[in-house]
Amino acid sequence: MIKVRDLHKMFGSHEVLKGIDCEIREGEVVCVIGPSGSGKSTFLRCLNRLESITSGEVEVLGVNIADPNVNMNEIRKEVGMVFQRFNLFPHKTVLDNIMLAPMKVRKAARGEAEQKALELLGKVGLREKANAYPNQLSGGQQQRVAIARALAMNPRVLLFDEPTSALDPEMVGEVLDVMKKLALEGMTMIVVTHEMGFAREVGDRVVFMDQGVIMAQGKPDEFFSNPSNERLKNFLSKVL
Amino acid sequence: MFSNIRWDALQDYLPLFLDGALLTIEITLISVVIGTLLGLFAGMGRLSGNWLVRLIPNIYVTFFRGTPLFVQVLLMHFAILPSLVGSTTPFVSGIVALSLNAGAYISEIFRAGIQSIDPGQMEAGRSLGLSQGQTMYHIILPQAFRRMLPPLGNEAIMLLKDSSLLAAIALPEVTYYAKQMAGSTYLMWESYLTIALLYLVMTMICERLVRLLERKYGSV
Repeated sequence: MIKVRDLHKMFGSHEVLKGIDCEIREGEVVCVIGPSGSGKSTFLRCLNRLESITSGEVEVLGVNIADPNVNMNEIRKEVGMVFQRFNLFPHKTVLDNIMLAPMKVRKAARGEAEQKALELLGKVGLREKANAYPNQLSGGQQQRVAIARALAMNPRVLLFDEPTSALDPEMVGEVLDVMKKLALEGMTMIVVTHEMGFAREVGDRVVFMDQGVIMAQGKPDEFFSNPSNERLKNFLSKVL
Repeated sequence: MFSNIRWDALQDYLPLFLDGALLTIEITLISVVIGTLLGLFAGMGRLSGNWLVRLIPNIYVTFFRGTPLFVQVLLMHFAILPSLVGSTTPFVSGIVALSLNAGAYISEIFRAGIQSIDPGQMEAGRSLGLSQGQTMYHIILPQAFRRMLPPLGNEAIMLLKDSSLLAAIALPEVTYYAKQMAGSTYLMWESYLTIALLYLVMTMICERLVRLLERKYGSV
């Protein structure tokens, strides 16, 4: 579904990604962990080209998006993203937040989009908030709306950029529960996270990034209980 | 000082002043609308990542902010428009000059308004598959516009007052008639104080309208 070969990313003269190779299969839940500044968010943002790609190949749904001539709107329709700071549209109601892209990009009829939006709100447990504005919701609720908004496009893969990092601790659980539900339904997910519990329980694979490269990866069980890499051991000892 | 003011002399001129006020309002409204459209495109052009796209609006804004409006009006009426399209009228020259001048200032209002919106909004829109233009139209501009209302209202008031300069190219707006009255009657107080009050009434109404709009569409 996603194949990354020798991905490099420079910010000016600073090289943030120093050759990433990675493959993500359909239905897989991949958790990306690592210290801050390791390039994990940049890596994720290269996958829908919110960050331009300096060199290498990034094949998403069969298209190499490192090619600057690719129509990214076509790719992004299929690749949902959930942001650390939610990025809901504050001037629109919850329902309109969710309906906007299906109506404008997929040209869905209003009634159809609304029905789907309400259905998704039910799924994230916020059906009664359909007509609220984002600033009337708690952080956890906003993030669940953001997930529903991404799901409204029927994406083939979902990217999560530290989805619980901006939340008060008591709201982390409700967001992780929704993500867990999606994982169980077979959604392909790439999750940049600091939630080791989630990575361990829900992830099919854990990827450890440090200093712009993938240092280690593996199935969660062996990965956490028997870390092979020194840096990983060091990192885990700090966060677990 | 005010004892020998002859308010009765206004009788003949007040209808003309009111005619002039209507033209002042008309010119202002048209110029605000055209200026806002110009400002929108110039403002977005100046935010482009492409220096060539930035170049033309940059030259435009630099020129119209860096030279006096009065000079722009004269230049437009007596030089640019006549040689560009052959002939012009005070009405056309006035609207062209005021709109271009307003557009330059409004482009800065748009630029600041757009830049004040969290970049995460553009990213969220683009990540959903919306094009840059769609995201601008549905997400960024509606939010930016709310923040732009107060400075836009300010600009409209400035424009209303600055339209008085068009008297110099014989556009029959308020100031034009006041000059006429002053010239033929030598009643300076009566002529100019009256139109000062007329302008004051117009700007106060304008201010009230902007405040109503702000309350309706005000901050998110």
